[in-house]
Amino acid sequence: MATAIGQELVALLPRLRRFALVLCRSQPLADDLVQGACERALAKADSWTPGTRFDAWMFRILRNYWIDHLRRMRTEGMMEDVEAQTHLIGDPGEEPVMSKIALAEVQRAIEGLPQEQREVLALVCGEDLSYREAAEVLNVPIGTVMSRLARARKRLVEMTAAA
Amino acid sequence: MSELHLTDEILMAFADGELEEPVAAAVARVMAQDPSVARKVVEFQQSRRLTRSVFASNLAPDVPAKLRAAISAQIEAYEAASKAGRRPEPVKTESPWPKRGYPMKMALAASLAAVAVATGYFAGRQAQPEAGRLAHLEDPLVFTELSRLESGREAELPVGRLRVISTYRLQNGSLCREFRLQSTSTATDAVACRNDEWNVTFALTEPTKSAEYVPSSGDGLMDAYLGRLGAGTPLEGEAEAKALVEATR
Repeated sequence: MATAIGQELVALLPRLRRFALVLCRSQPLADDLVQGACERALAKADSWTPGTRFDAWMFRILRNYWIDHLRRMRTEGMMEDVEAQTHLIGDPGEEPVMSKIALAEVQRAIEGLPQEQREVLALVCGEDLSYREAAEVLNVPIGTVMSRLARARKRLVEMTAAA
Repeated sequence: MSELHLTDEILMAFADGELEEPVAAAVARVMAQDPSVARKVVEFQQSRRLTRSVFASNLAPDVPAKLRAAISAQIEAYEAASKAGRRPEPVKTESPWPKRGYPMKMALAASLAAVAVATGYFAGRQAQPEAGRLAHLEDPLVFTELSRLESGREAELPVGRLRVISTYRLQNGSLCREFRLQSTSTATDAVACRNDEWNVTFALTEPTKSAEYVPSSGDGLMDAYLGRLGAGTPLEGEAEAKALVEATR
């Protein structure tokens, strides 16, 4: 049993990193997130029901870990950083550097989506979770999953068509 | 013709194979009759495929050695504990964050950088002391519209086209509205909050690249900001109307 979880965990690492990156958008931070989530998962390994999807169970732990982290950080100076940018204004004279960056159009469109839409898109379309499984990972009703997902995908179609 | 009201959610669920049979069959019938419905379903299939390809291309099979080692150590410790018949205790490898010190601000900095890279939004330069940039946001006409315009509505003002995006009630009771002001040269996404009067508390400006299409690239930051505010779920419909009346009474 123990070995099984260890193997599953190692095999899942690339996908955990990918989802962590969707959540926090920083690779070093994503790796820390994965490490912390694995630690947490092992500590409560017996709460996983064999026969259910291990990946969905891990995504949920990972995301909860991230949320806890955000909550913790809220009290530790995060506010100042946002406030420092409160009146940050772009320079309209600055030419877009977009042409220099070979980012795929769709990738950009996804990154432009609000966080709550990005994560549900990642789980359902990227990780092939069902609506219900995604709802469990995100701890929201299935209707919320569907409305966020539909909005995300409509916007994706609009953005990629318009670009 | 059809009694069935086909929301986007239903069409999407159909495209994803998540609909129960009687409904799925009904959708299929409508699709056969109505090309616009069929097109929507195809678009949902397409967006899924596109997303899938992006995620597939983002999958880095090489997990950094350091991370792999840290997790292998956790697993070994866990298995040793299990074998010894002890209740496995949480393995205390270093708690990743406090020591390594990736505070949230780094995540924000990273997303800021991403925004800057992707759109040319210029983050490095500190807020221009030039009050002129903000002045058009704080135009009395903008504030007047913020007090009455329903989310999703637009108004043409001398300073540009104002679009109110959403409304939030903060825990301290103040009312905040996210809006976009678009002039010929720039588009600004901003938040204004009201206690006795409206104050612009956040603004992101980017050059308008082309008339027809402006990616809202500042979304990550805007989300981060609204998240920090504790904005929660936006007020809609009657709740919004009521909140506006109360706040501006």
